[in-house]
Amino acid sequence: RPHSCPRHPGACTMLPLLLLLLPAAHGIAQLKYKPALTKEPPLEGVTTASTFVIDQPRCVFRGYDNAVIWLVVALDKAPFNNTAAPGTSETAFQDFPDPVRAYMTLNTTLSNYPCPKPDGDIAVLRVGSETSCAGDRMRPTCNGPLPGPGPYRVKFLALEGSVPVAETDWSTPITLREAKPPSSISVTDSGHSAGMIAITTILSILFAILLAALVATLFWGSDSCGGSSTFSKPESVTVRRYNTHHVYDQPAARL
Amino acid sequence: MAKSDDCVHILQGLLVFGNVVIGMCGIALTAECIYFVSNPDGLYPLLQATENSDIYAAAWIGIFVGLALFALSILGIIAVIKASRTLLMVYIILMLITFAFEMASCITAATHRDSLTPEVFLKQMLERYQKSEPANSSDSEITKTWDELMLQNHCCGVLGPSDWQEYTSAFRLTHNDADYPWPRTCCALDAQGLPINLDGCKLGVPGYYNSNGCYDAISGPVNTHAWGVAWFGFAILCWTFCVLIGTMFYWSGIEY
Repeated sequence: RPHSCPRHPGACTMLPLLLLLLPAAHGIAQLKYKPALTKEPPLEGVTTASTFVIDQPRCVFRGYDNAVIWLVVALDKAPFNNTAAPGTSETAFQDFPDPVRAYMTLNTTLSNYPCPKPDGDIAVLRVGSETSCAGDRMRPTCNGPLPGPGPYRVKFLALEGSVPVAETDWSTPITLREAKPPSSISVTDSGHSAGMIAITTILSILFAILLAALVATLFWGSDSCGGSSTFSKPESVTVRRYNTHHVYDQPAARL
Repeated sequence: MAKSDDCVHILQGLLVFGNVVIGMCGIALTAECIYFVSNPDGLYPLLQATENSDIYAAAWIGIFVGLALFALSILGIIAVIKASRTLLMVYIILMLITFAFEMASCITAATHRDSLTPEVFLKQMLERYQKSEPANSSDSEITKTWDELMLQNHCCGVLGPSDWQEYTSAFRLTHNDADYPWPRTCCALDAQGLPINLDGCKLGVPGYYNSNGCYDAISGPVNTHAWGVAWFGFAILCWTFCVLIGTMFYWSGIEY
């Protein structure tokens, strides 16, 4: 009888197995990668009221070809147990944020994150883009729209089977945009432009001068150009010319 | 006598010339105001909805003032040549009334142009674009006008697509944020009117959506309209002022 085996034959296999499991349980690789909002290319919709966009984890999970990469979305400061299984009620999107404080979604294999990233490709993940399954409890791993402005934290977790093997760091807290009501827009007078003030003042002055001139003309008017003499209207009636008597008298006197 | 005759003839000539210019400017003012009233840029529904369509009122006044100026200029020419005191006094008084109306038109156009700030249009767009139960036909007019504006000018919102994110809106009530961060008309569309790349548009990738605001496309025509009415009217009135002063001078010199 081999003396290295303990008394119970079954325990012969147990000890090596225990020894194997212990490193696996504490052996989740901590990858030095922090998920972040996409900065390149600049996106107008990088955060909206219910979605946000992060970069895909390209060239991060090297060597984990058999693993499924999950995205964990959690409320800021909410704890997350890496052994939590995806697709269960503990990590279902439909129960987020209460009572579920963190959910798992966007599962994919490493083949969808090819390394290196081809130039010109936009490699992003839009968290919150699936609206069709947001209320469907049969789809607990739905990538549904986020219910509030957050803040949220995300990280990637690689699972082989149901065993977590690698994870990234948590991201910095991501806060979404909050919309204000349109009644908060103030439409009170923003002041008057210089042009409008100029038009108003100058025209008012001109009109006042005209009225004053009209009054002056009516009451005192008898001045014209060329001094105090007035000019006559063009003749509308022919007037017979009169010769005075003495002009005719003289020739008669000569004769 | 000769000197004052010359003086008189010069004054008559100047007044006739002044009236001719007034007549032509009156026709030009009428034509310009008819052009603006005919709504060439399709912005009338937006202005009407701001309850501030006084720019259009100013243009309407401009039409009639222009015609009045033309008629009065003819009266003025006849009156100056005939040197008739009655006709000239009628001319002066009617011209003063026309002056007052045109002054009102200019000031109205300038004042109400100042009140059309981006905030006014932003608030109107957020509250009424794609309103699900249009209270009156002007709401559906506004939606149509905005859609055409965004399609033709390749723009989105008043200041940019972020208008739809920064504020809640009637549009947001019927279109959820994840599927419609901004209306589909903000996307770059192909010949059939469908977005070239819907995901690119929703993400906001440069090239697949319209990133400019439409305020420039609105304020350009409105500015042209308002300043066209206001400044041209102002110029006519300045000229009319000189002609009227000369006419009063002439009138006071006519022998009764």
